[in-house]
Amino acid sequence: MRRVFLMTVCASLVVAWVAIGAVAQTKMPQMTFRERTLANGLRVLSVVDKSSPSVAINVWYHVGSKDDPDQRSGFAHLFEHIMFKSTRNMKAEMMDRLTEDVGGNNNAFTEDDVTVYYETIPSNYLETLLWAEAERLASLTVDESNFVSERAVVQEEFRQSVQAPPYGKFFYALQQKSFNSHPYKRPTIGSIEDLQAATVENVQKFHSTYYRPDNATLIVVGDFDPKQLDAWVDKYFGPIAKPNLPLPRVGVKEAARTGEKRFTEYGSNVPLPAVGITYLVPSEKSEDAPALNMADIILSQGRSSRLYQSLVYQQVVAQSANANADLKEDAGLFYVTAIVAAGKKPEEAESALLAEVKKLQDTPVAAAELEKAKNQIIASQLRQRETNLGKSQALGDAAVLLGDPNRVNTELEKLQAVTAADVQRVARKYFTAENRYIFTYLAESTRSSSATNQSAGESKQPKGQSK
Amino acid sequence: MKSLINRVKAFWLLSLITVSFCVCVVAQEPQATPPPAGPPRTVQFPKPVEKTLSNGLRVVVVQRSEMPLVTARLLIKSGGEVDPNDLAGVADMTAALLTRGTTTRSATQVAEQIEALGGFINSSAGWDSSTISVDVLSARIQPAMEIFADVVRNPAFKEEEINRLRSQYLNNLKVSLGQPGAIARFAAARVIYRDAPYGHPLSGTPESLPRIKREDIAGIHSSFYRPDNAILVIGGDMTPENGFALAQKYFGDWQKPTTELPKMSIATPVSDAGNRRVLVIDMPDAGQAAVLAARTAIKRTSPDYFRGIVTNAVLSGYSGRLNWEIRVKRGLSYGAGSILDARRWAGAFAATAQTKNESGAEVAALTLQEVSKMAQESVAETELKPRKASLIGGFARSLETNNGLVGQVASLALYGLSLDEINKFVANVEAVKPDEIKSFAAANLNTDSTSLVVVGDAKKFLPALQKQFSQVEVIPVAQLDLNSASLRRAVSKN
Repeated sequence: MRRVFLMTVCASLVVAWVAIGAVAQTKMPQMTFRERTLANGLRVLSVVDKSSPSVAINVWYHVGSKDDPDQRSGFAHLFEHIMFKSTRNMKAEMMDRLTEDVGGNNNAFTEDDVTVYYETIPSNYLETLLWAEAERLASLTVDESNFVSERAVVQEEFRQSVQAPPYGKFFYALQQKSFNSHPYKRPTIGSIEDLQAATVENVQKFHSTYYRPDNATLIVVGDFDPKQLDAWVDKYFGPIAKPNLPLPRVGVKEAARTGEKRFTEYGSNVPLPAVGITYLVPSEKSEDAPALNMADIILSQGRSSRLYQSLVYQQVVAQSANANADLKEDAGLFYVTAIVAAGKKPEEAESALLAEVKKLQDTPVAAAELEKAKNQIIASQLRQRETNLGKSQALGDAAVLLGDPNRVNTELEKLQAVTAADVQRVARKYFTAENRYIFTYLAESTRSSSATNQSAGESKQPKGQSK
Repeated sequence: MKSLINRVKAFWLLSLITVSFCVCVVAQEPQATPPPAGPPRTVQFPKPVEKTLSNGLRVVVVQRSEMPLVTARLLIKSGGEVDPNDLAGVADMTAALLTRGTTTRSATQVAEQIEALGGFINSSAGWDSSTISVDVLSARIQPAMEIFADVVRNPAFKEEEINRLRSQYLNNLKVSLGQPGAIARFAAARVIYRDAPYGHPLSGTPESLPRIKREDIAGIHSSFYRPDNAILVIGGDMTPENGFALAQKYFGDWQKPTTELPKMSIATPVSDAGNRRVLVIDMPDAGQAAVLAARTAIKRTSPDYFRGIVTNAVLSGYSGRLNWEIRVKRGLSYGAGSILDARRWAGAFAATAQTKNESGAEVAALTLQEVSKMAQESVAETELKPRKASLIGGFARSLETNNGLVGQVASLALYGLSLDEINKFVANVEAVKPDEIKSFAAANLNTDSTSLVVVGDAKKFLPALQKQFSQVEVIPVAQLDLNSASLRRAVSKN
């Protein structure tokens, strides 16, 4: 559904992080983009592709849930919903009139570090949508009744993504408890109570603080004339002033972990137990990022991956098993998770996950397995770039999150250069006992009996504590 | 952590100043109305070309070469509809087992070899077809086709793999049965199709899966997996000549059995006021209530198909009536919508939303009210035009990827429709008139014969629901039985 909140533990997202380039057998088409920056600081990236009469527009704001105000977890994402309400010259839901009603669509997503708004429209509506995006950057307005109604929608989104699905609370806790000081510890969706406390005044402050041209990147991909695009961008975005105040930035550094911690979480609706291990890893800009992404693919991409083969296929200790290098701007988490197969114990799945992690540390990945992982990356990048929207989002990832749009074309070279020794090195460096938090997720009905259980015994308080 | 909170607070104080500053800037001279659209460019979709091999295999190639990718998809024109009543899930298990080992490749080898090519292979059953699909870089289509043909033609169906897959299905089912939305979909199928095909869960029930034996699976394969019951669609970076040559090379010697293809004819129940049910499945720990209104609907080949999908487009989509009333106006859900699932035999119409348990009855009433209005008042042209545009735009976007393009072409081929319908879609949608929508809804979406299923914490919505409906059945989730139309586990005789 639209105005989506992106769950952190999402395998498809992993693929979005690794990028593009050229390899020997199949040449990745290079993305030829133009870049300009307006006097007010707005960065504009564009790619012409006339293969269909449509165009994708993205506006990336460098603000995410890590910037949620104090006591307002979930606010950046709630704010994203409000951006579809009124502006000085647009009534609420007019964005839908300008897109959906002419055969286009729109949506947005909020992550820890960024908030991204996008539209796909027939190309003859490009000017109209540039006007509309400039409108909501420059002059968002919001009234109480629209605000209250949309806040209720986001609370339903919380229920639908966290409370109703069997493992919603598990993945929520994994992120919440894996960071100690960095605001990444606040899951993007927030909490019902903090959302309830949000006000119209918070919206206005948030807009003026973060929604400014020098904190935004406009991306246009598809069927347009570059000169015409420049003129329209100058006309609609040029007059928006750059505020004369510094942009607040999160400066908190997550301290290195100093020892294993264990958490036991309980849910009322847990069909099968689950286990998860998180390792604190560096930023996506780090030199170690490509090797961590490669470790993720080797562990979890496809039915030939190590976790599937070992936990799901051979040992049958897991209903499903996954890894995810969730690398963010300031720090990252490397997850390995499993939903425990019926009749098996969480301890068995945990040992099996740890054994696979140890294998990465002890033995270099075979050449053929590494080659397979590299081919999987190229193919998934090509698939992402089949659409204008996919291309625009690959460009946004490179420009805003990796800090350089050229990385849309150079990142895959780095991935292709990853060696078996690199994978082994990062596995030894980060996948250590001191750097791991281990989570077990059990049915509420087992709580009393598990009090006598060794690993769960000391951590059954609702908040979950370290051992 | 403390220092972070203080720092963020300080920034908030500073930002107060920014508010007034911004307002001044905006006051300059914004253009008050959106600039109008320029002249539109016309859209052209690729043209599928086809050929039938001497063994009866129909081959369709649809070329589009912007990206070096190819999707090949084989459809067997039989799916979950052929499951015997006590063996729900056998067609889906058969399809899934194709990639779990052949006479010359183990399950692990199939996965390793395809994934080493940067590709993936998937197989599963739908209601009307079973599908095997491979997606690969076009430079590597030859070795991928070899594996693809092997899994279709020579599956081993080893006992060990059958048992492994069965336990995976049972585990997956356990997870699905923890979700109110999934339970509502399973239950609604039984409510509207009762004990007829389409009524069971496609991937089986906790009771049917243990009953499925190797001979049942091998039987499905030998009866239905044959060239004269199959369609091969190849799409992407592939010329028709090369596509036909590949088909000939890997499927040309696939023998057609001498036996007749089993003829299927299914009489699906028709929803009427007499068999309408209002059913609550009580799941006290549900984090939300799932509301689903459902009824049988039209065949894919019905002359009413385009009237049906336009009617559905007025109800569904972000700005469709259901989402507008339930989400946008009232904030009762993250999303509400409907689907007209036209199939070989009568398909289904379903309207659905998830909401907090307390508003289950209100969302149910709103859902039925919006569906019922479709038959009462004509849709104004001013509302209809944007809904048609949205439907057409969604169709065009579905053709943007190879996978989507192959899917649309395969669906037309499956139902024996003209492949050229891709290029007539816009005109067919535009031709639908407001009075046709009203009469379609009157004939096909009457809410007096539409059933309702609500899954959630019943004590929070049941009293309100009982005020709206005189007869509400309540089944505790622990007593839910997906194997029969009653949906209720039989109580022991004494």
